[in-house]
Formats: sequence, structure tokens, C-alpha cells
Amino acid sequence: MMKQFLTNFFAAVGDKTISVFTAAKTLLLVTLNIFRGIFHFKNREKGEILKQAYEIGNRSFLFVSVTLSALGMVLVFQVCLQINKITGDQSQVGPEFIKGMIHAFVPILTAMMLATRVGAGIAAEIGSMKVTEQLDALRMSGVDPIDYLIVPRFIASIFMTFILGIYAALLVILAGAFMAHHSFGVNYNVFFVFDKVTWGDLIIGSTKLLAHGSAIPVVSGYCGLTTKVGSEGVGVATTRAVINSSLAVIILDFIISAIGLMTIQ
Amino acid sequence: MSIKFKNVHKSFGNKKVLKGITMQVQKGEILFVIGTSGVGKSVTIKHIIGLLKPTSGSIEVDGKKVEHLKEKQFIPIRKKVAMVFQSSSLFDSLNVLANIALPLEKHKIVPGDKIQDKAMQLLTEVGMEKYASVFPSEIGDGMKKRVAIARALAMQPDYILFDEPTTGLDPVSARRVDKLILRLAKDRGTGTIVVSHDLPSIFGISDKIAMVYQGKIYFEGSREEYQLSKDPIIQQFIKGTSSGPMETPGF
Amino acid sequence: MISSFFASIGEKFLVLSNILGGITYLFYQITVALIPPKFDLDEFWRNLYKMGVKSVPIIILTAFFTGGIMVIQASVFVKKFGATSLVGWGAGYSVFREVGPILLGLMFSGRVGSNNTAELATMVVTEQIDGLKALAIDPFRYLIVPRVLAMIIMLFLLTIIGTVVAIFGAALFGKFIAGVSYAGFWTSFSQNLHLADLIHGLIKAAIFGFIVSLNSCYFGISVKGGAVGVGKAVNNSVVASALGIVIFDYILTYNIT
Repeated sequence: MMKQFLTNFFAAVGDKTISVFTAAKTLLLVTLNIFRGIFHFKNREKGEILKQAYEIGNRSFLFVSVTLSALGMVLVFQVCLQINKITGDQSQVGPEFIKGMIHAFVPILTAMMLATRVGAGIAAEIGSMKVTEQLDALRMSGVDPIDYLIVPRFIASIFMTFILGIYAALLVILAGAFMAHHSFGVNYNVFFVFDKVTWGDLIIGSTKLLAHGSAIPVVSGYCGLTTKVGSEGVGVATTRAVINSSLAVIILDFIISAIGLMTIQ
Repeated sequence: MSIKFKNVHKSFGNKKVLKGITMQVQKGEILFVIGTSGVGKSVTIKHIIGLLKPTSGSIEVDGKKVEHLKEKQFIPIRKKVAMVFQSSSLFDSLNVLANIALPLEKHKIVPGDKIQDKAMQLLTEVGMEKYASVFPSEIGDGMKKRVAIARALAMQPDYILFDEPTTGLDPVSARRVDKLILRLAKDRGTGTIVVSHDLPSIFGISDKIAMVYQGKIYFEGSREEYQLSKDPIIQQFIKGTSSGPMETPGF
Repeated sequence: MISSFFASIGEKFLVLSNILGGITYLFYQITVALIPPKFDLDEFWRNLYKMGVKSVPIIILTAFFTGGIMVIQASVFVKKFGATSLVGWGAGYSVFREVGPILLGLMFSGRVGSNNTAELATMVVTEQIDGLKALAIDPFRYLIVPRVLAMIIMLFLLTIIGTVVAIFGAALFGKFIAGVSYAGFWTSFSQNLHLADLIHGLIKAAIFGFIVSLNSCYFGISVKGGAVGVGKAVNNSVVASALGIVIFDYILTYNIT
């Protein structure tokens, strides 16, 4: 009984480990191929990167605007509430909030939203092409799907995540200032103080945006390419894309935050 | 004891699919509803169990009008009239045996401790007893169809509706399914409606044929009458020629 | 140009009101199915297991790193002011009230909500829902209601687990990254935080669970067009859930303080 249980247990663990390693290996290969594909200019359609950038931006602009401004207001509200209980001195709220948003909250929250919106979109699109045999048709005409489909999305995503991140930061700060003024009577000129923001904050915030922006298309593109044929395939691929790219964002964010804290902050 | 259609119309938005269907099937009889693809055959039979509601006209099941029934009121009708879908519609999350046990269990058709035995007996009846613990995704289309038939039988229905039971099957599996349908109808005395455009099954097992053309019943009568008909449209359908008077949507 | 701009806004508005109407109607149908509360208990237990137990690893992983990220933010102050006494409080406060419920809600939506949409949508496109109806089984009582209830309960319980793990992660990383002792972390945590802070987050979790469950069922059963449609349905469902979570977070923060 015990022996059988142990055998089963180790077999299951071994199985899981092997599948994790296989997935990691394929993911690494896809990443390498993407980097190589950046230089295969001939395999890309002209204007494809711009088109994808427009797609990503267009798809996410309203979504990011609504979610991030709501989150900005909520965060300021919670902070002010807590400060009211302890010291009542709201003068530091603005500068500290702005600093915190730039190096921490805006990159992770924007990226989490994009992992949902853009990641699911990429996986659904590429997964659909896989089940309708369009990917095979591409290969048959001698075009590498990674060069043709994933590389443009990769470049566009890095670029657009960065731009949307900057936009989101401005929006969040404005929304936060509005909330602080409206509910707690904090003056705008007390709130908008940017001298707490260091170069370190800007570097950490930007690094996070770039890292998240590149992780999302890699992970969700991989999920799309490995879609299983069948009626549930695309749905499963989309699900995996959302969860895996969100997780990638959280772990990358943690790593960059930790390195940032120990070096430049 | 019969299912009757009286002047049934059905539109989807602006698209009129059925423009006055009138036909009937008695218990113990096999009616084939035939016609070209996209003509509205499947749409027609889905009205009987309330998966679709007619725009106008009436449908009777054993003398009870069903066209105005609410979702809940359809439950007794659905217990009486079973349907085997074109895609078999087996539940992916349950194995073959559990697929058949589900209606037995939910409607308490047999006592709790007899469910497994009864399900197994139904599987044996369709020749699938060896595949009881297999999942639907692991078996072929012909086998799925047999399981779907066993699941429909679990309801102990008075009528069974088959939506294109042989489409997509190889000729050998198709004839086996035909044989099964024929045996069930004759042994159990169920009323059977089969939607099909598969000529060998139409001429193999039908008692009666209703041909749908341009949203109406173009022909209703026995198999012999159909085969002997001189009508050019019927002749074209039987011979399967591309040129002729018949108009097919989409071509 | 201008007229097409307004036309596109009008079109978007119509789509949106269609979705909101659909979700409201689904809510009504679920309420009706709950009076009297007759639903499929087997399916309910199966979904509790499937949605709950199987999400534990991803929730733990998310919570652990979330705690880490939060403690790093609090540690910025420690470095500047030497305010060790703030770390436990800062990390705990944000995990309890905001970041915990939101991030766990988003991950739950990604893991369970989208999976549910994919499953229901696949059942629609392969005629399995019609198959259920044909067997005289009510899809609401058999499929939808058990899933909605299971999701609400599970996100609530998973948020409790997640919160504990996040605090544990914060304490651990606080020690290694910011050099805050466990005792110091605990003092700061226990003296400044109250049960009310935890309850604040848990109320949010229950409502987020409801939002995710409604969205994921709605987009699942209203799917159009084959395997490609299933992908789109999942995509729309996770986006709608994220929007719902954030908007309701804003509303709830105001109303339960």
C-alpha cells in the first residue's frame, strides 16, 4: 500500500517535472527564435508592426484608462484614510504616491491588465489560425509562423506597453490627485510634488514595463502556437495565455523590484 | 399517437427558413425528412422538443400543442421525445457509461443501485459494452453515435429524433447505424424521425418520406411512391445530378 | 468622418447595453433557479473541487510573490527613514484591503473564470447544452447555478488562504531583503491592523467571485461560431471580469470603510 503510494507519488512528481522542463525548453526556443526573427526583415509584411501596435493600443486604451484611473483613486483613498487615523498630515501623500506609482504600482497593474487583454487576444488569434490549419498553410508557403506572426506582436507589444505605461502613470496621478482633493481636501499644489521621484524610480519603472511588455507576447504566443486541435483547443490556449502571462508578469516584477531595492533605491 | 406539424413557419431575423411545414409521424413508423443541405431539415425537428420556437403554425405531440410551452413545460415532452444530435453531443467530461447513467440518475428512471446495470445493458444493446470506461474524445464518430443512441434510449422514449445520423460516417458504420435504427423502431415500436440526405439509408430503412424543398414539404408519401415519382426535382435528388431544375441555397 | 465616429460610438454603446442586458437577465434566471434552491449537488461538489483545489497552487504562487512585492515597496521607506515599524503594517494593510483581493481576483478570473467560459462555450458549440435540454435536464440547475455558487465560495476561501500566504511571503522577504526581523514585522502587523481590514478584503472577494462567475457564464453560453468563437468568448470574459473587478473595487472601497 505505502510502497504503491510512494511509487505513484514519485511517478506523478517526475511526470510533472518532465513536463515543466519540456515546456521551459520549448519556451526558451521560442524566445531565441523570436530574437533571431527580429532580424529576418524579409519574412515580415510591411507595416505589420505598426498594424499590431495599433491593434494593441486600440484594444487596450479604453480598458487601461478605466481600470487604472479607478485603481489610482482607490489607492489614494486607502492611503489617506489610514493617514487620517494616525497623523492626519496629508502633505506627504502626493509625493510618496507619485513615487510609488512610478516604480511599483503602474508597471505591474498596467501589465496585469495587458496580460488579460493583449495576451488573451494573441493566443485566441494564433490558436484560431492553428485549428483552422492556417499555420500549416503558412509553413507550406515557406513562411516561419514565429517570424511572421509573433515577432511583429513582440516588437509592437514592447513599444505599446511602454507608451501605455507612461500614459497610465500620468492618468493615475491625475485621478489620485482628484480623489485626494475631492475627498480629503488635499491641495493640488501640495499633491503634485515630483521631487521625491529619483532616477532610480524611473529606471526601475521603465525596466519593468519593458520586461512585462516582452513577456506577454512570448508567453501567449507560445500558448497560441501549441494549441491542441479540437473544439476546446482555442479556449484552453486562451485560458493558459492569461494565467501564464499574468504569472510571468508577477514574478518578473518581483525580481526587478528586489534587484532595484538592493542596488539603486 | 403521433407527432403532427401544421403549417409551421420559422424565420431567423429576415431570413425565412420554413414557409409552411405540414407532416406527421405515427408511433412505430420511420419517417425520413430529406432534402439538400441547409434547407431547414434539422431546424424542423428541433421545434418538436422546444430547442427552437416556430414563428407561426402548430406542432402537436400526442395531441398536445407544444408551440407555446415554456422551457419548464417542455420537460415532460422531452422525456417522451428523445433526440440524437448530428454531433452526438456526448458530454466530454463524463465517460461513456456515465453519459448514459446521467439521465437514468437525474430522472430516477431506475432505482439508484440499478443505474450502472441498466446503463451497461443499454450499451450492450448498441454493441458498445467494451468501451464503458472510455471518454468520448477517445472514440470515433460512429461509436459516438451508438453511445448517443443508447443515451437517448435511456429515456425510454415514445419517439426518437435522429439528426443526420449517418453524415460523416464511413459506409460500413453508416449501414450499421441504419440497422440499429431499424431494429429499435421495430422492436420497441417507437415513432422515429430521421433527418438525412444519405440515399442508401433513405431507401434502406424508411417507411415514409417527407422531402423539404424551398421551406415547404414538397413530397410526403411512402418510399415506393417516392422512388416511382416522375417529378423532375425528385428525380434530380435521387440521381444526385448537378444540372436540373432544383435550386440549392448557396450555390 | 464625424458621423462615422458617432456611428462607431453608437455601435459600441449598443454592444455594451446588449452585454449588460444579457448579464442582468442571466442574474435573474439564476435567482429564479435558486427559489426554491434546487440545483445539482453532484455538480456543485465536483466544481468546488475542480475550481478550488486545483487553483490552490497558482493562488499560493501569486500571493507569495505579491507579499514580496508589497514588502519591497514598504522597504523603500525603511531604507530612507529607518522606519522598521512600518513594514508589517504597510505590507499587511495593502494586502488585506486592496492588492490581495484584486490580484487574487484577477488570477482567479484567469484560471477559473476563463476555464469555465471555455468549457461552457465548447459545450454550446458542440451542441452539448442542447443535448442536456433534450434529456429533459435544466441547464441552469445542472450547469450554471452550481458553477456560480462554487466560484463565489471558492474565491472567498482562496482569498483567505492567499492573504495568509501573502503575509507569510512578506515577512519572509522582509527579513531577507529589508532586514526586518520576524518579531518586528509581527509587532507592526498585529498592532496596526484590525479584523475590519481583513473583513474589508473578504467582502470584496465574495463580490469579485460573483462578478467573475456571472461574466464567465454569460460569455460562455452566449458564444457564437465554432472553435474560433470559443477563443473570443474567453478573451471577452476575462476582460469583462477585470473591468468588473476594478470598477466594483472602486465602488466598494467607498461604501464599506
